[in-house]
Amino acid sequence: MVAPSVDEKRDLLALMVRSRAFEETAGALAASGEIPGSWLSGIGQEGTLGVIAQLRSDDYLTYTHRGAYGFIGRGCDPKRLLAELLGKQTGYCKGKGGRHIADLEHGILGKSGTIGAHAPLAAGVATAIQIRGDDAVVVSVFGEGTSNRGTTHSSMNMAAIGRLPLVWVCENNSYVGSVPAPVYLAVADVAAMAGAYGIPATIVDGNDVMAVHEAAAEAIARARAGDGPSLLELKTYRTRPFGETGTEQRDQDEIAAWRRRDPINRFRERLVTDGIVTRSEADEITATAEREMSAAARFARESPWPDPAAAFEDLYA
Amino acid sequence: MGMLTMAEAMNQALREEMRRDPSVYVVGLGLYPSAASSATSGLVEEFGELRVRNAPNCETTIAGSAVGAALVGMRPVVELHLADFAFNALDEILSKAGKWRYMHGGNSGMKLPIVFLEGIGGYVNGAAEHSQSPLALYWHAPGLKIAVPTTPRDAKGLLKTAVREDNPVMFFTHKLHNGELGPVPDDPDFTIPFGVAEVRREGADVSVVATSYMVDLALEAAAELEGRGVEVEVIDPCTLEPLDTEAIVASVRKTGRLVVVDEDTRRCGVGAEIGAQVMEHAFEALRAPIGRVANPDLPVPYSPPLEAAVLPSVASITAAITATLG
Repeated sequence: MVAPSVDEKRDLLALMVRSRAFEETAGALAASGEIPGSWLSGIGQEGTLGVIAQLRSDDYLTYTHRGAYGFIGRGCDPKRLLAELLGKQTGYCKGKGGRHIADLEHGILGKSGTIGAHAPLAAGVATAIQIRGDDAVVVSVFGEGTSNRGTTHSSMNMAAIGRLPLVWVCENNSYVGSVPAPVYLAVADVAAMAGAYGIPATIVDGNDVMAVHEAAAEAIARARAGDGPSLLELKTYRTRPFGETGTEQRDQDEIAAWRRRDPINRFRERLVTDGIVTRSEADEITATAEREMSAAARFARESPWPDPAAAFEDLYA
Repeated sequence: MGMLTMAEAMNQALREEMRRDPSVYVVGLGLYPSAASSATSGLVEEFGELRVRNAPNCETTIAGSAVGAALVGMRPVVELHLADFAFNALDEILSKAGKWRYMHGGNSGMKLPIVFLEGIGGYVNGAAEHSQSPLALYWHAPGLKIAVPTTPRDAKGLLKTAVREDNPVMFFTHKLHNGELGPVPDDPDFTIPFGVAEVRREGADVSVVATSYMVDLALEAAAELEGRGVEVEVIDPCTLEPLDTEAIVASVRKTGRLVVVDEDTRRCGVGAEIGAQVMEHAFEALRAPIGRVANPDLPVPYSPPLEAAVLPSVASITAAITATLG
């Protein structure tokens, strides 16, 4: 396995920082009521970018209801993302989706309103790749809560039988709302479920983006080679409430402990220690990202509302 | 023009479309080996296991995988066997296939060309979960086209159109029709457009709207009433979405009377919708209340006398037509 180059590491840090800056902007827009629906923060889970950042432009992604790193990692335009969250005509879905965003040009297939529905979709995209005979792959990200749904299991079964080019990525952030995993999950590791379908699984510290990158490189290579699906379980933690405007009961000490393991801070410190970026370069990456997201927010705010007549469009192709 | 069963006509349609377009593939349970003559019989020999895919036993996954494949340019044909079984995949059909394009604003020219093949109907002593005809459920939901062929010819022509359609199509065929013979054009360019009703029988006194096996029963009722001097016009919409409202309204304007026959449950059913549309468009032409023949909102029972008490019959259709004549 080829280790990421110095440039790749810098780029990965920049992606993580941009994703965080986007989320902070989205969080502020949710708090101010400018997002008419909801935004579900993925702050603290940006280690998943260790998977997404190494996808090719012809690969595909299904993402969870949480976080912006899927979009930012695939190269979506933050202006159009924020415009969509604000319900504006310039958004990726012309204001019809809100946080349910598709950007087919970047392999973002769209967002289901029901958890677990992405799993069969991902199996179908992988089926399409297999039929047309190229070596693209699908990454399907889901949460440990979603492992409760039968679709997760039936799709793993389908993917294993068909040796489909699919990488399942479980972000195990330990909670659904305020409810801790042992209440709804019979096993400690979702990775154990993959074993039932003969799918190789790796458990990774999801807040260590280099560890995620390394495990994902292997899983992606396996899928590309036609050797079938794998599962990565990223042990991580959601430091924000379930929804940005919600509150919930969780142990504050636990949240503080996980904040100290923040994937971006850890990666940045490591790159500084390894002499890959200087502290001032890292600060500049952050400042640049914040300027970009402020400009994106301005674009979204200034964008027009959709014409009500547009409600009657887009049902059929 | 050959004489084919409906299953053979659909098989011919699928073969022609799979030859024409490499993005068409078939997925479903038990597609091969299969002894029974079906729409998918023998396709694996010609097109191979990549394009004729035996799927695991889970309608949810099969339907959802079709949505995923369609999103990236394939044209899946999904064999769900019975409409009853498709209820396992309602999230995938109603909310993914039906609403994905709209919710995502048609992003990047998004298309969802999927055909869901579903067998419908009772009269087979299949009990409540092997006898349903839930057309109205899908008609109620935005985003789905609905084809309900009655003859082998229509099954072929409408299925070819369904496969070429860029939107999800629910394709319902009645269990009793699978083995019924009829003339079928063998021209590979033969298609039937959606939204064009067929007048199965012309008549001046009462309009009857029916689909699928209900057309057969309505035609029998019409033949019986002819002996009593009543001329019944039988309209088969062929597709519910889009619906040829114009043809139905034109018929009602001529006859002044309407009976809708539907094998599904009556409440919020096909008859309710067609009846409402006729009242909106041609209320002044109606000379009698609209009649509805349908399942009286019950599960379909198993035993022959019980099943006969619930499902529409020639007698119940005849009675409803007679009632509109006052």
